[in-house]
Amino acid sequence: MRFSVRTILLLALLVVPLAELSAHALIRAQVPALSDYRAAVDFIRKEMQGRDLISSAPGFIDPIVRWQLGDKIPLAMAGRHDTAAFERLWVVSIRGALPGEAPDAEPELRRVFGQVEVLRYALPKQQVLFDFVGSWPGAEASIVRDGVAKPCPLRSNGTPRGGGLGKGVLMPVTKRFECDPRSPWLFISDVVLEDLQNEPRHCIWQHPQGDEPVQLTFRDVPLGAALVFYGGIYYEHERMRQGGAVDATIAIDGQVQGQFKHEDGDGFRSLRIDTSKLGKERATVTVSVRAHEPRARSFCWAATTRREAAP
Amino acid sequence: MNATGERWGLTPTWRDHALGLGLCVLYIALLIGTADSIGLGRDEGIYVDAAQRYGGWIELLIRSPSQALERAAIDGAFTANHEHPPLMKLLFGLGHLVHRELQIFASDSQSFRFAGMLSAGALLWIIYLFGTRLYGRTAGVFAALSFALLPRPFYHAHLNAFDMPITCASTLVLYNYYVSLERPRRAWLVGLTFGLALLTKHNSWFLPIMMTAHFGLCAVVELRARKLGQQRRLSLVPYALVAAVCIGPCLFYAGWPWLWHESWPRLRSYVAFHLHHEYYNMEYFGVNYFWPPFPISFPWVMTLFTVPLTTLLLGIAGAGRSVAAALRALIRQPIAADATQPSALLLGALLTPLIVISLPSTPIFGGTKHWFTAYPLLALFAGRAFVEALALLPRKAAVWSKLQPVGLAGVLLLPAAVETAHSHPFALSHYTVLAGGVPGAAEKGMNRQFWGFTTRSLVPYLLETLPNGGTLYICDTLYTSFQMLIRDGHLPATFRATPDIARADYALVHHEKHFAEVDHQIWTTYRSVQPAHVLLYDGVPIISVYKNPSRR
Repeated sequence: MRFSVRTILLLALLVVPLAELSAHALIRAQVPALSDYRAAVDFIRKEMQGRDLISSAPGFIDPIVRWQLGDKIPLAMAGRHDTAAFERLWVVSIRGALPGEAPDAEPELRRVFGQVEVLRYALPKQQVLFDFVGSWPGAEASIVRDGVAKPCPLRSNGTPRGGGLGKGVLMPVTKRFECDPRSPWLFISDVVLEDLQNEPRHCIWQHPQGDEPVQLTFRDVPLGAALVFYGGIYYEHERMRQGGAVDATIAIDGQVQGQFKHEDGDGFRSLRIDTSKLGKERATVTVSVRAHEPRARSFCWAATTRREAAP
Repeated sequence: MNATGERWGLTPTWRDHALGLGLCVLYIALLIGTADSIGLGRDEGIYVDAAQRYGGWIELLIRSPSQALERAAIDGAFTANHEHPPLMKLLFGLGHLVHRELQIFASDSQSFRFAGMLSAGALLWIIYLFGTRLYGRTAGVFAALSFALLPRPFYHAHLNAFDMPITCASTLVLYNYYVSLERPRRAWLVGLTFGLALLTKHNSWFLPIMMTAHFGLCAVVELRARKLGQQRRLSLVPYALVAAVCIGPCLFYAGWPWLWHESWPRLRSYVAFHLHHEYYNMEYFGVNYFWPPFPISFPWVMTLFTVPLTTLLLGIAGAGRSVAAALRALIRQPIAADATQPSALLLGALLTPLIVISLPSTPIFGGTKHWFTAYPLLALFAGRAFVEALALLPRKAAVWSKLQPVGLAGVLLLPAAVETAHSHPFALSHYTVLAGGVPGAAEKGMNRQFWGFTTRSLVPYLLETLPNGGTLYICDTLYTSFQMLIRDGHLPATFRATPDIARADYALVHHEKHFAEVDHQIWTTYRSVQPAHVLLYDGVPIISVYKNPSRR
């Protein structure tokens, strides 16, 4: 059967708008109803266990998942650095998307709720012995001035001011170690910081003051095979790549075991310190932060000690 | 039809103006009828503040002209938003003054926005006339409707901003310029309208460049044809350009009181502001761009993703046919080649803004609005393609032949109409089927919105959740824009905006990639990541609302 050019063009005139309308209708038909999310979330709630991680894909549905299940998503989960603290991963998924942290394996469970899919993956047995971010109020903070370490008192009377673009972490954070009231950024507390990829990072804010350190000391920390340290600074302080380096040293029982240097453009990156050869079960860990040019060096870090020296 | 098949239009008559006016009035009525659900955008808030000052100056000018012309009065009024010329702000202010006296609009925001809507309506009229002159009435109507049914321009057509007015002014200048090629006595209109364009927005700076380049081409074509024995068809004196250069700047100066004092430094600072414009954040394929180099593909992909597919293909087909006809004539029949070179004018004016935005140093904020001046030309090409498409239809009896254009136009414009209707009032979040729709674009990491105008869509939730009012952290919504929700009666005065997340009863986050930090500020302050509500559009989060656990 042969078609003339005229017939083909005529068909195209009808097919293109029809295809456009059909695609439009199809796209809209595939939008999950809120009831789909609610059914998915109800299922997860019933099945959830202590060391479960909740994730969503694609990333744009994250606010919807937090809306429906946010009471089960603490700051540490939303601003996680890796999955080491979790043993199972729940994924709320639409459009067949998977988060980057999903294991490259078949899920152990899969349920469909309308346009929403719930998947559960097994993760390696959790390895975390001690979470520094979760334990900061029990630590000792100090700021060194002229060679003398001055303790930073714990305050719980702050009301953060402002909000919005370019403001970063709002100060004063309600509960914090206050190291210098005249310089309100010199405090230590857990915050959620926007990293270079605009992702949340739950971490300990420990802004440097200069060449002398701001320090945080944790006593009686259980050590395992490794101490995994993450550090970085706030997005807007880093994105122009104009700031100076930030140095963090990690000392265990007074001996420097790790040195972490942040340079703009690094984003949040990690440092793994092998603690298996120290021969200690528990120790005092001190994190000291310095920067020769401390302006807008909003350093924030997170660390855990772990049983196994994971890959 | 001319000898080369480049155009076959007719000189518009009063009937055409009547039809153009009809399109204009209908479009304005549609805009007025749908404006209520669009909150005031960030820039609109700034222009409302300026328009109120400019309006005050108009009042003073009427009451006490000599006082109004004193420097103190001029500076007092026109210092506000002096980085943009005043014409539209004066008109926005005038609209509000008239409303204050006569209560002719449904709301305060509508009174400020009316001048913008008027320009959008007038633009349809101009597109119709341009299309009629080039390709006949059917093409003119189709082109006007094609433009009216573009989702993003439809949104911007509601606003008291400059993007639709400059699109209108720019198209009007081009139309007058084109007409003046064959009727040089109308060249003064080019000067007049160019002056108005200069007073509207700085996009107008490109018009003389486009017109000069086009006139140069016309002159070459004309001279070549004359050499081959063709009669004189076109004057080689660039009357329109002379008029533009002479009248335009004079009108610009005369119409902007801010320039009447310290003229040179102020003019320099105006030009410098736009030559060294600051950069804003814009998400594009998952990357937040905030500093050059910006992706060259941005305006092209955004056009592909936001203009309805059928309209886009018709425009491309029309451009292709038109340019092919022009090239064929230039190569094969230089003596008959159209001396007014309409295809080159349309294509040049279509591509110029897209190319300018493609430059890696040009800021890419503002979504698609910075190349809106290209879309009327795209619509004109679509109009041409439509007329050529009609010729493909089988010949029928007279009654059917009259219905055929209507039927085909209905089929070809239906997708655009459906998409535009669906985009309202979230047009800045709207993407067409090529992007996979709204969710497809969200998954690809395309900009979700800007200007914070979507707070208007939260009003039903806010009224239900806070029946006695409360304090809101309003994120990207400008204070003036929020206050307009109260002035328009959408929210009672018991609602207050606060700049402090910690002191708000509820905090809003308008979802754009770089606004993630506001989410994080709220999480740290409220110690919770759980929104109390999420405003969705096609399943894509537009605004998250957090309840402050320490309040009430």
